[in-house]
Amino acid sequence: MATVSVPPIHKSRLRRVVTSPVTARIVFPFVVIAVWYVIYYTIDSRIFPTPLRVLEFMWEEVTLTSGIRFSSVADNLYEQFGISIFRLTTGFLIAMTVGTILGLAMGLSKAVDAFFHDWVMALLAMPALVWALALSIIFGFGNTAPILTVILAGTPFVVVNVREGVRNTPKDLIDMARSFEVPQGKVNRHVLMPSLMPFFFAALRYAYSIGWKGLVIAEVFGSQVGMGWAIRFWYDAHRAHGVIGYAIFFIIFAMTLEKVVFDPLARRVFRWRPSLDAYQLAEGDFGAVGQEGFLLEDDEIDHDVEIAGMEGHTDDG
Amino acid sequence: MAEIKVRDLHKEFGIGEDRVVALEKVNLDVKGHVFVSIVGPSGCGKSTLLNILSGIETPSSGLVTITQDNHDAEPGYVFQAARLLPWRTVMDNLLFVQKDRSDESRERCQRYLEMVQLGDKVDKYPGELSGGMQQRVGIARAFSIEPDVLFMDEPFSHLDAITARTLRRELHDMWRQTKKTILFVTHDVGEAVELSNRIVVFAKGGKLKDDLQIDLPFPRDPANDEVAVAKAQVLRKFEELDLVAS
Amino acid sequence: MTTTLEPKERTPRSAEEERLIALRKRDTRRKWFWRIAGYVVILGTWQWFSSNVFNSRIVPGPIQIVNVFPDLWNSGRFFESYAATLTRIGVGFSLSFLFGVVLGVATQIRWIAGFFKDSVTISLVSPGLVWALTGLVIWGFEPQGWIFAIFLTTFALVTVNIAEGIRALPKDLIDMSRAFGVTTWRRQREIVIPFLAPFIFTALRFGFSIAWKVTVLTEVFSSNAGIGFEMRVASQLFRMDEFWAWALSFFVFALILEKLVLQHYERKFFRWRQEVTH
Repeated sequence: MATVSVPPIHKSRLRRVVTSPVTARIVFPFVVIAVWYVIYYTIDSRIFPTPLRVLEFMWEEVTLTSGIRFSSVADNLYEQFGISIFRLTTGFLIAMTVGTILGLAMGLSKAVDAFFHDWVMALLAMPALVWALALSIIFGFGNTAPILTVILAGTPFVVVNVREGVRNTPKDLIDMARSFEVPQGKVNRHVLMPSLMPFFFAALRYAYSIGWKGLVIAEVFGSQVGMGWAIRFWYDAHRAHGVIGYAIFFIIFAMTLEKVVFDPLARRVFRWRPSLDAYQLAEGDFGAVGQEGFLLEDDEIDHDVEIAGMEGHTDDG
Repeated sequence: MAEIKVRDLHKEFGIGEDRVVALEKVNLDVKGHVFVSIVGPSGCGKSTLLNILSGIETPSSGLVTITQDNHDAEPGYVFQAARLLPWRTVMDNLLFVQKDRSDESRERCQRYLEMVQLGDKVDKYPGELSGGMQQRVGIARAFSIEPDVLFMDEPFSHLDAITARTLRRELHDMWRQTKKTILFVTHDVGEAVELSNRIVVFAKGGKLKDDLQIDLPFPRDPANDEVAVAKAQVLRKFEELDLVAS
Repeated sequence: MTTTLEPKERTPRSAEEERLIALRKRDTRRKWFWRIAGYVVILGTWQWFSSNVFNSRIVPGPIQIVNVFPDLWNSGRFFESYAATLTRIGVGFSLSFLFGVVLGVATQIRWIAGFFKDSVTISLVSPGLVWALTGLVIWGFEPQGWIFAIFLTTFALVTVNIAEGIRALPKDLIDMSRAFGVTTWRRQREIVIPFLAPFIFTALRFGFSIAWKVTVLTEVFSSNAGIGFEMRVASQLFRMDEFWAWALSFFVFALILEKLVLQHYERKFFRWRQEVTH
């Protein structure tokens, strides 16, 4: 096993920049556009748009210069968006309220937990599509169906997270406080609330996220206004640039939510935690998350939730 | 018979201000049926030396030659934590490091497991064994490939005192029976004195400071006076070399 | 030097232990009572509402829904539709899974991680609907449409889980195998793959669940076969009992899949974890 000393390689500045992952990240969108153009020239489709056409469309929507009116009720991007946000927020607030109450009840009482458990799991796995179609049949067009969809989609996530929060109360800290005879009010404020916060925050984040996804589907099927309906409008009109344009609006909205609202909030809420939280998933390295939003940190979430995607099955443990 | 030659072995990390020297121009010769302990404070490079000798790390410069009679054999290695594959049985863990899975290999593994009193646990998973038992599996594994040289990196430091004592004795018996060359890293001077014919002393910064012969007869009982005296002498040596805060 | 220990004799259970066992039994009984109570109350209320408050064509009760199943089964419609939908899921998700695994492994190279980082974020964050509609508006009925949708909704999930698994690979075990001169191939087989197995299972579970939702969504819009198609037709004809039968049938299917297939393999793979006694 003979070895020779090896002098350290000195990478040139240019080489370091080119091979840096940050550069890779910047290069990516350009590659996407290039591939887009390649598809455009090779595909045999009359409606496939160029990136420029899509951008043009989006600009027109944003600056209200398109000359196309959706309807007399809500005729442009902003009005549609406003209606959607209204519905989302209403549904979200109800989902948070109902979900928290039920989650607390299920966390505190084994009887309540046994009573509702299977049903919460079933709701968790139910696709928003089913609600969208069924509720629009019952309630027709209007606000009810979309708002109810948001509630039905979001509540189970809230319930599960809050229940988990209750289950994870640090009993050892409470015992410690009791041994020092700390009054109950103080214990609530300094021990229980902070320990519930991460779970409550998770509930909040996912209720909004899932709620938004459900709302959009509900509006596609059961509404004549709203962002979901807007994308439907362009789909029915066979205008791919419209569909893609609105798809991008959706993506921008979702990403803004995550990066501008939830990530900074997560950092503040989890400030005291030394370990990297998978809630910071949009930033940093990839964290292991199920798309409906669950951590794979075993000590936090019980395995019912991991399998939540599989249609209501529970792993009674 | 095995021979280990280390010439001007040097290992460092980082550049400029952050430069850390793990091993500084180490020269060492080990030959034959000896038990050599490598002792020193934490950060003195003892584990790095073992990692380089076993091929896990590469040196910055220098030459290492290991010659064994059985040219095919890799040196055996026993780690601080047993490092067993948790999803494989005890037997499979030993088979994992054999050259093949023939009946011959299986028999050989069975033999070594019996030597460490685990012949009846071959189908258990590591999760079902205690810390001491897991470490025994690790020792059996290292011996089972029948190398001429064995490296051990503080194998008993994670165990409770009683289990460690038992395992020390078993290891010693195995060494006497199989006549191997053992390089044994430890921070416990008493352990080194109990087990070795030779103690190599490292100081912080990877410098080899001293090389001591321990000529007491085997087996050595730690409670024995002579052993205690030898231990005291070695410790005094450490103080001389400024390795212990006096 | 060996020591032998006498096996301990089975001591009779103390009163304390007896009490604990009794309490546990009582707890289990109570849980079952409330669980069944939940079914009775919820299903009962639902049935009552459907019959007395709503038009039971629009809001069918559990009894009506269950009654639809035999017809769907006997007429063969179940098989046709499931065949269509499952084929699509199979094709789309297999592609996505393969790509996801490769990408997950490749993200060890930091440049690649940087390159795909935003695509993963976007895929995780956007509603499946946007991919479904985009694919459909461009390609319509053609396979490219639903493949596009399934691929873009699910690949990121697989990537993320695999990447996480790879990052968690136990370096100490890999070093050990290198110290013993174990070949790379053997290392992959005996260390990497068993270690990654749970991550792969998770990716499969979540990915499949998402894939199914997106596939059905595409079928609702533009298809002439499959579960989504059946659901659309049922809702258009106001046959909501059929609609719910189709929706709930997939729950049953997924349950069977989970219990029979996945759990069987999980038990095989993870026997070593279950055997831990202390």
